[in-house]
Formats: sequence, structure tokens, C-alpha cells
Amino acid sequence: MLKITHFLKSKKTWFYILISLLLIALPFMVSEYITYVVVLTLFYAMIVSSYDLLLGYAGQLSFCQGAFYGIGAYASALFSIKAGFPVYLSIPLSVVITALVAAGVGYPALRLRGAYFAVTTFFLAHFVYLIFLNEVWLTNGPLGLRGIKPLEALGGIDFSSTTNYYYLVLVCFAASIYILYRTANSNLGKMFISVREDEDLAESFGINTSLYKLVAFVISALVAGIAGGLFAHFFRLLHPSTFTWLTSEMVVIMTLVGGIGTIFGPLIGASVVMFILEFLRFAPELRFVIWAVALIIILIYEPRGLVGLVERIRRVKR
Amino acid sequence: MIETILAQLVNGLVIGAVYSLIAVGLTLIWSIADIPDFAQGGIYTFAAFAAYFTVTLLHFPYFFSLVVAVITGTLLSVTIEKVCYRPLRGSPFSQLLVAIALFFLLANLAIFLWTPKAKILPSPLEGIILNFAGFSVSLQRITVIAAAFALFIAVNFLLKRTKLGKAIRATAQDPETATLMGINRDFIYTVIFALGGCLTAIAAALIAPLYAVYPEMGTLPLLKALVVVVFGGMGSFIGALAGGFLLGLIETFGAIYVSVAYQHGFAFIILILTLIFKPGGLFGRS
Amino acid sequence: MILEVNGLTKHFGGVRAVDNLNLVINQGEIVGMIGPNGAGKTTTFNLITGILKPDSGTVKFKGENITNLKPFQIARRGIVRTFQIVKYFPNVTVFDHIYIGAIAKNGLRADRKTLEPMVNETLQFLHLKDKKNVLVKSLTIPFKKRVELATSLVLKPKLLLLDELMAGLNPAEIDEYLELLRKINRELGITMIVVEHVMKAVMRLCQRIIVLHFGRKIAEGPPEEVSRNPEVVRVYLGEGAKYA
Repeated sequence: MLKITHFLKSKKTWFYILISLLLIALPFMVSEYITYVVVLTLFYAMIVSSYDLLLGYAGQLSFCQGAFYGIGAYASALFSIKAGFPVYLSIPLSVVITALVAAGVGYPALRLRGAYFAVTTFFLAHFVYLIFLNEVWLTNGPLGLRGIKPLEALGGIDFSSTTNYYYLVLVCFAASIYILYRTANSNLGKMFISVREDEDLAESFGINTSLYKLVAFVISALVAGIAGGLFAHFFRLLHPSTFTWLTSEMVVIMTLVGGIGTIFGPLIGASVVMFILEFLRFAPELRFVIWAVALIIILIYEPRGLVGLVERIRRVKR
Repeated sequence: MIETILAQLVNGLVIGAVYSLIAVGLTLIWSIADIPDFAQGGIYTFAAFAAYFTVTLLHFPYFFSLVVAVITGTLLSVTIEKVCYRPLRGSPFSQLLVAIALFFLLANLAIFLWTPKAKILPSPLEGIILNFAGFSVSLQRITVIAAAFALFIAVNFLLKRTKLGKAIRATAQDPETATLMGINRDFIYTVIFALGGCLTAIAAALIAPLYAVYPEMGTLPLLKALVVVVFGGMGSFIGALAGGFLLGLIETFGAIYVSVAYQHGFAFIILILTLIFKPGGLFGRS
Repeated sequence: MILEVNGLTKHFGGVRAVDNLNLVINQGEIVGMIGPNGAGKTTTFNLITGILKPDSGTVKFKGENITNLKPFQIARRGIVRTFQIVKYFPNVTVFDHIYIGAIAKNGLRADRKTLEPMVNETLQFLHLKDKKNVLVKSLTIPFKKRVELATSLVLKPKLLLLDELMAGLNPAEIDEYLELLRKINRELGITMIVVEHVMKAVMRLCQRIIVLHFGRKIAEGPPEEVSRNPEVVRVYLGEGAKYA
């Protein structure tokens, strides 16, 4: 009982309730275009917060979240187009494939210390892009993959409408954030933290650091794969250029802008970055330039990102 | 048949020379400063554009544009070290992120400034065709290979025979002791970044007339050079050299006999195989 | 016999850091390992715990050959060490630091109800209770070392390797530590190898002392005997006596 009153008194609780209500009411308050942008933002929010588990908790830098997003998208689209699987089956299958790729690349690269892993993942991102581009028989190459089925209607709900799909994505988003948050605060999350803090010490306490790094990497890939699958049947057109290394870069930027090691910080990062990107649509290259400069400045002056910035402002106010 | 193989051999060596040139700088920077300097990819692009504008806008001869490219690359590399890496020294994690952000920044800045369109950098050497018993090759290609070798000899001399080279190698082996012995670490860092920027710029300006000048041109050479560093063995000069040429040859012959589409994918496979079977690299210490 | 080291050798470049070392450690002992700087003490610890791979020789723990196991596998078998330059997880609280150790020991499935009493017991044992919510990085070095030791203890090791745990402590603190280590040995039944520069402490604590010099074992025996050994006096005690 005490817990509940405490819960209701906390400002944070009300903040989250407010945000949730806003998200639920959103399609009725804004245009379809904004809803559409929010759906895309939710995909990025999933990718970014799962990346935070890898970067902020396990302390491993990777540059291929965009590739996993792409693998999830292409695999699910292909399962539904070429094999005729229902989307309810093709998305889970694509997630399995994403996880397998992550494990296959992560295993050799994570055994080594230092930047080897980061460099390998950077290359993976490029390699995956090459596959999307070159395997024309499979992916239709630079022309893009068309004719992707929408999610089949379930219980009379038609998911080809933006609003209905928005709610589906919102549910998936909420579920993945909840699971990520629970994971980060579980025993597993503590193991990740030990790897981030000091690998040698963790190892000398009997912690299998290579294993936990791999687990964190696979989880981050897995969530990106889910987002990719959902994206494929929402956008229903896949193009290799959506999944270049620049996409992976944007994920890193969103995470760091938000502030790492919090799961929620990166969500703010994803929203801020996505919406500013939309506003700056008229100057596509300039917005990347701006974000890159912003990232460098953040890294040098406020490594904790927006979350750190807010804390700093609060302290000054007091 | 023989002609094709010879022609591909020259192509492989030309591309290999570029990889080796970048990789030599990268391996020094990575092993001493502990930064896989992705920014070199952007420096490569900017150096090539500097050469391009020197020739097309200012109408200076191609040889002079090489000098301009080198100055641009060296200054850019040294400035990046001073402004972006130095404040973050001691946190390799942030340095790596900044390196990638710079790579991202320079590529997009180039697109913003000069559009993604490919440009041609004319070189008088490209027009001169040499004939060897029915086999012809442009002087530009020969120059790339010859210049690369001349530079490797020069760098080798610098590292092995000069006082400065000894100081660099001492810093690479044991930075603390080197500092105690009175070696100025900031100065050594400036030198290796200057060297890295210089080698990258030469590679870019030499190969630009053979292909094209465009904002994304630095991405693949940089990625390949990073693989060469791992493949050859971290910090190994000879590893970077041999690894670069080997990768160049594997790519050109792989493109003919295996798959053109995956010419740029072989490096990834080599990287994974190296990590699994020889994590220290070909010439690595462990 | 809990630990048996045979012909252990490790080179660094041309230098033999550890040279054909043989050791036998019995269950329940507190063994001191001493020697001048660069004698190979820390290297020996690194070889036993798998951080370094020996060039030749074997390490057997309770009859099992553990020479080629990874550090975490060796730790799980019950050999835990502390580091000469204290190591710790800086951005976690003292409680979480030890809690991480408790998870490492009892597995991911262990719930908070089982782990928390273990952590609290350890906090109590090392008088860290009032620091439990403090970030480890904000502690003083002696306290950081204590947290490192506490986390080692929650792992319930069979053999504890302590690398200069008492360096930088004042005599009163050393006395306190000696009492603590005896208590760990007696009450928890943990065998220990102790590397120390503080000679008096080693002499008082250990039943047996091993002296290393340039990677070789030059003497072994009870403290009084070792301290009378002329070679030991020459290479080590002579120089140590100057500081004493």
C-alpha cells in the first residue's frame, strides 16, 4: 500500500503516464503523416534502446544495428513473398536469422579486446548492404523489393491502415522496452555491467565475459530484427539504400545524443533526432553534417548526452 | 590470356599500393595512439578533392596538385588529432566514436559541398601508355606502384634509422617508459598523425586519375585498410605492406574468378577468418 | 595438497620472468611469497589464474590440470585473486560490486532473496556496511582493496591469491588486516598465497615462506628458517632491512 502511494506521488510516474496517454491518443490528435513519422520513430526507438543494452550496459561499441534492421526487414519480406509464409510466421523467422548472423559474426570478433569488434561490425554493415544490392535474384537489387504483403487482418482489425498498424507497433515497442528494461536491471544486466566496468576483473571473478558480450550483442540484434520485420510490412517497399552504414551511424548518434546506460535516454535521443531530421528534409546532407558535429561536441563536452545535459541544467538551477 | 593476367596483376598491385599506403599510417596510429582512425577515410576524400580543384580550378599541373593534396591531408590529420582526439586521450571508447563521427561528418560534408557526383581528375601520366612486348600499361599505374615503394623505403628508413623513428618505436612499445626517457608523447602523436595523413593523401591523389573523385570514395579504401591492419598484425609495418598488396591481388583476381559483385566483400571474409584462426594477424606479436 | 605447480616457465622477450618454478600448497595453509621487485611473484599469480599462458610447465588444482583453462574457468574452480594495482568496478555501489560476485558464484537464476543475505554477511565481515550505497570509485584506495577482497570472499574461493593487499597501510591497519586474514583462513577454511612487501607482516602471518629471485625459487621454509638463509639475506632481506 505504501509502495502504491509512493508510486503515485512520484513525478516520474505521472510523466510516464502522461507520455503513455499521449502516445495512445496520438492518431486522433495529429495528421496521418505525423503518425507515420511516429511509427518510423518507434522502430528507431526499439533499435536504439536495444543498442543501449549493448553499448551502455555491456560497454561494447558496434556499428551494425542498421544491418540487423535490414536483415530483419529483407528476411521477413522474402519469407512472405518467396515462401508465401504468413507475416505472423515470417517476422519470427527473420528474427531468428538476424540472431544467427549476429552470433556468427560476434563470436570470433568478441573474443578479442579493443576495437576489433567495432571494426568488424562496421564491415558487417557494409557487407550486408552489398548483399542487398547485388543478390538481384533474391532482393531485386537496386530496384528495391516491392509487393510486400501487409500484416494479415486479425480478429477483424485491418493492419493495412496506418492507425491500426501504429497501435500494433506501439504494443511491440512497449513490450520490447519493458523487456529490455527488466533485462538491464536483472542479474544478466549486472553481468553486462561487470564486463563494461572491467573485463579482467569480471573474468577473475569467474564471469564468462565473452559469453555475456555475445548475449548482449545478440539481444540488440534481435530487437533490431523485430523492428526490421515490422518495418518491411509497414513500408512494403525495401531499398538497399535504407540500410547503408549511414543508418547504423544514425543509431549510434541517437543513442549518444540521448545518453547511454539508461534504456530511456536513447528513446529521447531517437525522438529528438528523428523529428529534427524530418524538419530538415529540405537539406538532406546538411542534417547529417549537423548531427555529426553535434555528436563530436557531445562526446568531448558532455559524454552523458541529453540526460547528462538535463541533469547539469537542474544542478545549475538549484 | 597472359595479357589479362598481367593486366590484372598490375591492377591488383595498384589497388594494393593504395591499401598499403593507408594501412601503414593506420597501423602506426592504431598501435600507438590506440585509435582505429576512421577519419583517414574522410582525409582521403578531402585530399583527392584538393588535388582536383588545384588542377581544374587553379589550372596548376597535376604534380603540383599532389603537393597540395599532401599538405591538405597532413594538416587535416594533425588538426583532427589536436582538436578531437587529444581532449579524449585515455578514453579509447570515446575516441573511437569521435573517429567514426568524423568519418561520417567528412563524407556528408563532401556531399553537401560538392554533390555526390563523380568528377574526373586529369593526369598527363594517364595518357602515356608504355608497351612491354605487346602488353601495355599506363604510366599512371606504374607511378602509383613505384611511388608507393619509394614511400615505403622512406618510411622504413624513418622508423628504423632515424632518432625520431626510434622515439616512435619506443613509444609504441612502452609509452610510460618512453615518456620517462624524455620523449614528448604529444610530439610523437603529431608526427604519426601527420605521417598517416600524408600517406593517405598521396594514395588518394595518385589513384584519383584512374578512377574518379567523389565524396564516398574514401569509404571502401578505409575499410580495406583497417582489415589490412588486422590481417597483417597490429603495429606491424611489414604486415601492413604485405597485407595491403595481398588484399589488392585477392580482390582483383577474386573479381575475375569468383564474383565481381563481392569484390568488396572478400576483405570481410578475410577479416573474419583472421579473427578466428590468427587473431594476432600474419606478422603479429602473439 | 590443493595446488601443485610443476616446471612453470614464462619468458618476456629475452627475460625469464618465471623460471622452472615448482610449488606445492597444502589445504589450509597461509603461504607467503616474497622477493625483490621483478622476482616473478605477480607473473606467477597471472600464470596460476590463467591471465598469462606459460611457455612450459603445468598447474594442477585439486588434482586437475588447469594450465590451459581461461581465467573465468579457473576462478569458477575456486582460485580467486586480488590485483597488485587494485581493480574494481568504478561506477557501481559497494553493494552491487559484491552482488555481482554473488551472481557470478550462484548463477543468473539465483534470486535476490538468496543473494542479498550473502552480500550483507560479507559486508558485515569486512566492516563495509556503512559504505554499502557508496560508489566504489569514490572510496579511498584501502577501501577499494577491501571491496575487491569482499567480492573475492563472496565467491567462496578454495584458494585465495593476495597480491600486495597491505601495501600503503599504516601499522595499525596492517595489524587489523593480519587478524582479518587469519580469521578468513580459520573460519572460512580458505587457503592463501600472500605476496607482500611488508616483511614483518608476512613473517607474522605465514606458516611457510617461498622466496623468489629472478623467477627462480631460492628458498622455502618456515619464516625463521628463511630469514636466516644466507642467500635470502643477501638478495632480499639485506635490502629490505635498510627500509625497515
